[in-house]
Amino acid sequence: MSKKQEMLSAAEIREKRLSVLYKILPVVSVLLLVALWLAASSSGTGFPSPAQVWDRTVQLFVKPVKKLTLIGHVLISLRRIGLALLFDWTFGIAFGVLIGWFPRAKALLGPLFNAFRAIPPLAWIPLITLWFGIGEFPKVLIVIFGSLASIVVNVQAGMSNVEKMYLDVGTVFNATPRQRLMKIAFPSALDAIFAGVRTSTSAAWMVVLAAEMLGANAGVGFLISRGMDSLDMPLVLTGMVAIGIVGAILAVVTQFAERMICPWTRRKKSY
Amino acid sequence: MDEKKKVILRLENICQSYVVQNGVKDAVENVSFEIYDNEFLVILGPGHCGKTVLMNMIAGLEKPVGGRIFLDGEEIHGSDRRIGMVFQSMNLMPWRTVMGNVEFGLELAGVKKAERRAVAQKYIDLVGLQGFENSYPHELSGGMKQRVGIARAYTNNPQILLMDEPFGALDAQTRYAMEEEVLRIWGQEKRTIIFVTNNIEEAVFLADRIVLLSNCPATVKQIYDLNGLPKPRNMTDPEFLRIRSEVSANTDLAL
Repeated sequence: MSKKQEMLSAAEIREKRLSVLYKILPVVSVLLLVALWLAASSSGTGFPSPAQVWDRTVQLFVKPVKKLTLIGHVLISLRRIGLALLFDWTFGIAFGVLIGWFPRAKALLGPLFNAFRAIPPLAWIPLITLWFGIGEFPKVLIVIFGSLASIVVNVQAGMSNVEKMYLDVGTVFNATPRQRLMKIAFPSALDAIFAGVRTSTSAAWMVVLAAEMLGANAGVGFLISRGMDSLDMPLVLTGMVAIGIVGAILAVVTQFAERMICPWTRRKKSY
Repeated sequence: MDEKKKVILRLENICQSYVVQNGVKDAVENVSFEIYDNEFLVILGPGHCGKTVLMNMIAGLEKPVGGRIFLDGEEIHGSDRRIGMVFQSMNLMPWRTVMGNVEFGLELAGVKKAERRAVAQKYIDLVGLQGFENSYPHELSGGMKQRVGIARAYTNNPQILLMDEPFGALDAQTRYAMEEEVLRIWGQEKRTIIFVTNNIEEAVFLADRIVLLSNCPATVKQIYDLNGLPKPRNMTDPEFLRIRSEVSANTDLAL
């Protein structure tokens, strides 16, 4: 083997080692967490051990709570955020484009929107309960109130920061106002819009759990409040672990969708 | 060049000024000259002298505070389909492929997909980018990006092509190669080209005529007719060097 080849293969080996390391590190952190958890639960404070939580999770499938297994409760929560996100990603994006692209609309509606987004979603619960009772709709509404701002803010930022150089191309080609919006501004804001999609998804997932803890008879948030009421700490932790896992999956899914829809934002491996 | 030169673009007393912190700054002052059909005109001037401002006004990206621009005898206001532009910073849309960028102008003009694909392909081939139709701009080198910019401008079939320091961001070797490319492309697809640069050698290499601008505010200092020097030119030819140093001696230093 020539010297050059040797050096190349040495670099290859180093790269392979690194990629193995990057696969091991996340496992290490999870193992560390479990070790800490074990240590905390063995100190006799009544904090449940991982084994107890695992047993409780399995039991949840054998003996469902309110006729629903863990999967059922997760699906109920997912349906609520799904409906809310459907609204966020249509109305929210449209509204963000409106106040990001048209200065007059921003002057007219911007202050109202800023005041609206300063109100925490849970503050709406009394009013929403008063108006709509306690069905599915008010819960979805709370989720919308809690996640709408994050998509609107991102879309607005993307639409009001369109690079002048792209618009100049439109001017030289005599683009109509509609073409400037649809063919230049909107696509150039797509990465900001996707940032909004990601943050609104995680915000919705957090708000739905809070909303469910306050008054629901299904959903992961309900499982946690049920666990709290019946001093069933393993059930609380089961719910928390489920929340963490589903949240992480949602983040991966939205990131994957972004890469599919906006292939030009694909950089080198981003992790 | 033939004797009956037809004037295609005429600038008449063009002025441009901007309001700055304490007062008004003049960028372009009383610039008038004519551009003939199918000629390669180079606007040469020191850095930040208002060359880009002049280009932007011809392209319709900004309005002059004074003066008039005539295209084919009629005054124009703002951008015109008959004028295309190759930008200094390339301005390719990162969300569009090479094909998507090149056909952009035709798409805006409402040309059907099959037809605009065919036209765009012709110019992609002309600038030597066949095989890269589906690449995104971030996958291309600087020289290739500017080829896309040239193809995009050509695809809309403008009578006049403005090139605003298109090779300013390229390294020296690529720049020489692109200068020859632009002459080759111009030879195959004759258009009127107005090419802006601050590089004297580039100007003498490319130009049929050079309009030399002064320091800011830009005024026309002198117009050189280089039609006597046949193309392709050799940068070490004694006549080339003589003209180069003549222009050089007359050029203001950039501050």
